[in-house]
Amino acid sequence: MKRLMTSKGLFGGTTLAVLAILVLLPLVLPSATLATEIVIFAMAALACNLLLGYGGLLSFGQGLFFGAGSYLSALAMIHGGVGLVTALVIAIVAGALIATFVGMLSIRRTGIYFVMLTLAFSQTGYFLAYTLSKWTGGDNGLLDVPRPGLSLFGVDLVDLKGAHAYYVFVALIFMAVYVGARRVIDSPFGSTLVAIRENESRASAVGFDTRHFKMLAFTLSGAVTALAGALYGMLINYVPLDNIAMAMSENIVIMTVIGGTGSLLGSLLGAGTLVLMGEILSSIWPRWPLLLGVLLILIVVFLRGGVWGGVESLIGRMTRKDEA
Amino acid sequence: MKRRSFLKSGLAATSLLAAPSMLKPAFAAAPVTIHGLKSMSGAFASYGQFAEMGSKLAVQDFGPLLGAKPEYVTIDTEGNPGKAVRKVQEAIQGGAKFFDGCTLSSTALAVGKEVAKGGGVFMTPAGADEITGTECNASTFRWTVPTYGAIQETVRPLFKAEPKKKKWYTITPQYVFGDALLTAAKDVFKDLGIEHVGNSYHSTQEQEFSGYLTNAMAAQPDVLLILNFGGQASNCLRQAISFGLKKQMTILIAWTAGLDWFQSLGPDLLEGVYLGAQYWHQVDNPTNNALVKRVKEVYGITANYPLAADYIGTKVILEAIKKAGSTDGKAVAKAMEGMSYDGPTGKEMIRAQDHQVIKDYYLLKGKAKSEMKDADDYATLISSGQSFPQGDKIACKMV
Repeated sequence: MKRLMTSKGLFGGTTLAVLAILVLLPLVLPSATLATEIVIFAMAALACNLLLGYGGLLSFGQGLFFGAGSYLSALAMIHGGVGLVTALVIAIVAGALIATFVGMLSIRRTGIYFVMLTLAFSQTGYFLAYTLSKWTGGDNGLLDVPRPGLSLFGVDLVDLKGAHAYYVFVALIFMAVYVGARRVIDSPFGSTLVAIRENESRASAVGFDTRHFKMLAFTLSGAVTALAGALYGMLINYVPLDNIAMAMSENIVIMTVIGGTGSLLGSLLGAGTLVLMGEILSSIWPRWPLLLGVLLILIVVFLRGGVWGGVESLIGRMTRKDEA
Repeated sequence: MKRRSFLKSGLAATSLLAAPSMLKPAFAAAPVTIHGLKSMSGAFASYGQFAEMGSKLAVQDFGPLLGAKPEYVTIDTEGNPGKAVRKVQEAIQGGAKFFDGCTLSSTALAVGKEVAKGGGVFMTPAGADEITGTECNASTFRWTVPTYGAIQETVRPLFKAEPKKKKWYTITPQYVFGDALLTAAKDVFKDLGIEHVGNSYHSTQEQEFSGYLTNAMAAQPDVLLILNFGGQASNCLRQAISFGLKKQMTILIAWTAGLDWFQSLGPDLLEGVYLGAQYWHQVDNPTNNALVKRVKEVYGITANYPLAADYIGTKVILEAIKKAGSTDGKAVAKAMEGMSYDGPTGKEMIRAQDHQVIKDYYLLKGKAKSEMKDADDYATLISSGQSFPQGDKIACKMV
């Protein structure tokens, strides 16, 4: 079991575990729509994990990328009449460009100053969306966001109006993003990011341009988060202002921490935990976010590796017992 | 008889006896289910709980409908439009057709679109004028008086009562709702010859109003018209009173949340303040009197705005299903168009053109603690009336 989960192969190990979870999710959950929401937020958490878990960069600007992806892809479809693939490409490119801009100004600072700069950019994005109400719908949100079918070169391939069809589409994109992220993490670029996280001065001393590496991670994270935002807008056929609000950045960071920083699979677990907590506990107790706070404290204090860290530790103990 | 044979015979006999009762549910009509969209958790949880009480009571007291007792299911919107839309999509996939509620305007707008796509019916007490304006649709109905009516029915009667007060200052939240109230107010000012001596815009996240109140004091108005809502209106009023503005000028809050909001402020703050309201429990008509009595019996509280709004919204859907004699969404929506009924504000009517409920809006005045006859007697009813955009002013183009 341990060997399977820790396999270094790109298509083995945790990739198989992700595939299994993606297959099981719509079967065990009450609806495919709920499963889709979990997978979309897992994508956003995975992008945050690239920064926080591997680069050691705590960004509160993730909501800005998520919201920008939602708004720009939706506006391109509503006003530009573009199709699904073009809308998603617009979101990815826009997310990457915005992240590059934010990164250029934020990466120069470290620690709390970096965090505050990402927060400031996030708030700027929120008020921009709020002010440009003729385009974004302001406080009311952007309505009538279409969910076009998948077509290539004018040929309609798949209708995505159904909840299950859209889930499969989102799950396939997540799978591709996951494999791509593993490839990045396993590459020399990923190793350098980890080296920067562990000791930036030393990484710099041995000749790495640490700013350049952090910038690249930031751009990649922005692109993937914006992609998740675009998919979310299409899921609910609507872009609420909340998509670009501070709370969105917070939720993405919380999902990352709960799932486990430094674990891509953990992002899926973290997103699942947060979304399902809201789903189940909100009907039992109106003040359920209090329990979320308690869970977050417990994880930070006792389970630094998050839910996935706990699972890994359990597997480790079981394996040791078997060997003994 | 052998023991095994006895058991077999016994089981067979019991099955035969039980068969009619097992078959009965299979042939009984499926009950009509109303889905209540309530913010049971999150920032608007207190509102959602009253709203849920209203919808539950309406379903509970309705009696048989199309051969079965109607049922009620709450969908927690979590005060989050995205979550609300996703949950409504799931409910529609599961066969849900009839929805009532939504505290937030943004949620109501988005949910209305989903329900329309699913061919259902949705009644909401949300504030956004777009619901029965530019974003109207065949499935969505709104109980709340629009911003136009709220201003007409507060500014005009107050000016009539105090015609010498001709200089007015406004404090406005800078978003669609606030702008709609301000535009309506400016039109009435112009019509009545009121001098608008200034306006302070603030963001929707503002909680500190001292700067805006200082500007208002500097303009020396006779009336301060507060156009924000909920927590912001509470903070704005508290700070205005601590600045001594109540002694210097008349204060009017055009759009309040009603009794539960008054309870959170108390009579000392509300005394002498003019308050606009969608519902007031002391309005004397048979339906409201019966509702207030029933709410007291069942919940032990006085009926308030969210409870009354969701009670009547749910009841109207049930009445329309009865009238249509069917659970077909289109037929029920058609039955609701032009429907007249006795509501908590008196005679109410659903305008077919934009699905807006035509009902009274109230101007109240806060009472001194010594004048209160009971714990919830916070205000005196000054006036009531119906004002709605007419003709070309109706922005809805129903498709």
